[in-house]
Amino acid sequence: MEQIRAIWQQGIKIGLIGGIAALLMALIGMLETFKARHVIFEIITMDQLFLLIVVLFFGYIAAKRTLPAKGPLVLANTFFVGLTIAFMLLLLIILGMDIWTYKLLDMRRMFRAASPELFKLLTFGIPGFGGRMLLLAAGGIVGLVSGIFYLLPNSVRKTSLFALSGIGVIGVLQDLVKPILDKWWPWLQELLFGPDGLSVKGAFYVFVLIGIFVLLWVLRGERIKTGWQHMPQPQQKTIKWSSLVVLALFLIVLPQIIGLFLSEALTIVGLYILLGLGLNIMLGYAGLFALGNVAFFAIGAYTVAVLCSPEIPILGFQEVMNVATGVPELIPITISFWFALPIAVIAGLLAGLLLGTPVLKMRGDYLAIATMGFGEIVRLLLLSDWLRPYMRGAQGISKIPKIEFFGKVLQGPMQIYFIIFAALREDEDVAQAMGINLPKAKLTAFATGAAFSALAGAIFAEKIGSVLPQSFQVWVSINIVSLIIFGGLGSIPGVVMGSIALMGMPEILREFAEYRFLFYGLALMLMMLLRPEGIWPAAIFKRELKEEHAA
Amino acid sequence: MAAILISKKATKRFGGLVAVDTLDLEIMEKTIHAVIGPNGAGKTTFFNCVTGFYKAEEGEILLGEHSLVGMSPDKIVHLGVSRTYQNIRLFPELTAIENVMVGMHPHLHAGFFGIVFNSPAVRREEAEAEAEGHRLLKFVGLEDKANMLAKHLPYGAQRRLEIARALASRPKLLCLDEPTAGMNSGETQAMCDFIQSLRDELGITIMLIEHQMRVVMGISEIISVLDYGKKIAEGTPDEIKRNPKVIEAYLGQGSAHKVH
Repeated sequence: MEQIRAIWQQGIKIGLIGGIAALLMALIGMLETFKARHVIFEIITMDQLFLLIVVLFFGYIAAKRTLPAKGPLVLANTFFVGLTIAFMLLLLIILGMDIWTYKLLDMRRMFRAASPELFKLLTFGIPGFGGRMLLLAAGGIVGLVSGIFYLLPNSVRKTSLFALSGIGVIGVLQDLVKPILDKWWPWLQELLFGPDGLSVKGAFYVFVLIGIFVLLWVLRGERIKTGWQHMPQPQQKTIKWSSLVVLALFLIVLPQIIGLFLSEALTIVGLYILLGLGLNIMLGYAGLFALGNVAFFAIGAYTVAVLCSPEIPILGFQEVMNVATGVPELIPITISFWFALPIAVIAGLLAGLLLGTPVLKMRGDYLAIATMGFGEIVRLLLLSDWLRPYMRGAQGISKIPKIEFFGKVLQGPMQIYFIIFAALREDEDVAQAMGINLPKAKLTAFATGAAFSALAGAIFAEKIGSVLPQSFQVWVSINIVSLIIFGGLGSIPGVVMGSIALMGMPEILREFAEYRFLFYGLALMLMMLLRPEGIWPAAIFKRELKEEHAA
Repeated sequence: MAAILISKKATKRFGGLVAVDTLDLEIMEKTIHAVIGPNGAGKTTFFNCVTGFYKAEEGEILLGEHSLVGMSPDKIVHLGVSRTYQNIRLFPELTAIENVMVGMHPHLHAGFFGIVFNSPAVRREEAEAEAEGHRLLKFVGLEDKANMLAKHLPYGAQRRLEIARALASRPKLLCLDEPTAGMNSGETQAMCDFIQSLRDELGITIMLIEHQMRVVMGISEIISVLDYGKKIAEGTPDEIKRNPKVIEAYLGQGSAHKVH
């Protein structure tokens, strides 16, 4: 009896936290916004999906903590978690709806999202007592499901989890998948998708397909991994190189495959990959926490803009025959983008040296704030009267932008500079005692990182066609830091993953874009808790794991 | 025999505390010279002044004809001074071989563009550096652990790795700060033999801070004793053993006549 009391107490406690999360989602308007998107047409919408995730997540936590870990007790625990979460939502409804009805308290004065629409959505559209009971029942049942999930054998759980997540992901990311299918395999698109979200049949197919894949991986994955490790070095090398070449070709063709809208999204991702690589050198390798990279981005962009646009007479004037009037007139000299590009990169490099010099002795937080300040200085300078916003000229590269893969400049562990930067990052004083000239090393890191950012800026200017100071706010720097931490500090594939996840998602998922910083914060928190080395950890961390395997 | 390091009235203060007090010291070439004294006597502070971590406020520290006072640590390394640390300061996330390769920095000449574009000259230098690194690891008996992360090495191995790293810069003067701290008698003996081989085989001058009297008396040729930042005695191990001031410094006033 004691056990049971403790169990439902624990369930309620964890449920309370889950309930707060659910309430938060409701009250910031997220659920209402998400309601518009169907994941599986007519069956489940995105808001329901997110509530499901919340209940399953907290249920799982409760299940893990159940002691003694006996089946019925776990189920009881998770049941209470689900019930509590539903109950808290119910309280919201009662407070908001009933009392409002009696005009005692209008919740909307405080929480704009606490509207009748929200309550309707929470009660599945069924008014009155029925809807509320349904809410409670749903909570309890989903809670039980999370408990069942926990109790399932590992392979079954993994398979079904992946398969279900696959449905969720594809259903939510339909704006990404549908255009591609539309173009190349319309029959597939019709098969899988309904007017909005996956069709029921489609969901089933996706479930089965992913399920089979995961099952195969679970059963055969180890064999493939050990096979790879036992492959001789030269063979490994050829495979790596050829897959890189294939990847490069694929990327060049990609814009044609995915269409215009997605190419735009991909451009943003690509630019942020460049920016991320720059900061990766500064922070991931050399350990310099620099938050001012938007400054170099801006410098790169403005350099190209100033040199290439006829609006800015910085290079002087030339006489040109005006064909319309037959009279020669003076217009500003401009140069081609390809000449301006290296100049922009050098400008960024010099700016990196300029910024790096006064902050050489700073570390940690102080360095972060100081560099952030530099970012703002540049932006404010650009806002000032000397350089005004303008339009670049008509010429230029008009093919749909491709993503350049600059990732292979710094190879990995054995390169000399890697070692110097790593020493710098690990223990600055000892690095100096080993003969490393600190200012030189740090400035090299700064300048290189800045050059990358300037390159991104130059491409950005070319792509957008005009540059405005408000494109270069401090958020850009913060985005870059977030994405490399998320993807994995010091890891080049990590930068790519981070960029796709944090910069690509908002472009594809409108709802994501609206709650972008909420998701960034959540992603970073989860990363820190569950996987601090990032999604795709740097090789340096993988070595630890390899050692543990060998030991 | 020439003096390789000369300290003339070197003084280092921290506010009101005089850590090193007008210290006169001469280290002769190719000797093992121990600097001992009770805790807080200023030994590590002096080391730090020699290697550039601190700047001596008064006095002079000369390496040959170069004045080390005010020089940055990386330049001092280029002049041929290298050190290990009391509390081991390896680069924890780098492997053993990588730690050693950092130590080689003064002798690596790869330029920025060479590295970025992986030129043949750079690749050759890297290969040589790696080979040299393995040689050094072999010398300290760690070659089979070359690819282990430094933080995973056992304590004794870490100490030896630190020495390997210090040797990588091909120093003329090696400053060892309590190299046998935390070791048992077997390991200590091995370390003693090793230090002597450094002097015998590689011709390196060794300046040594040590607390284990067995080591100090066993391998050093000259011992300087510090107390409260001042040198209170200097001489051969036999002389020092019998010096009453030394005994008092270690065991307290009035002990001199009790010990023989």
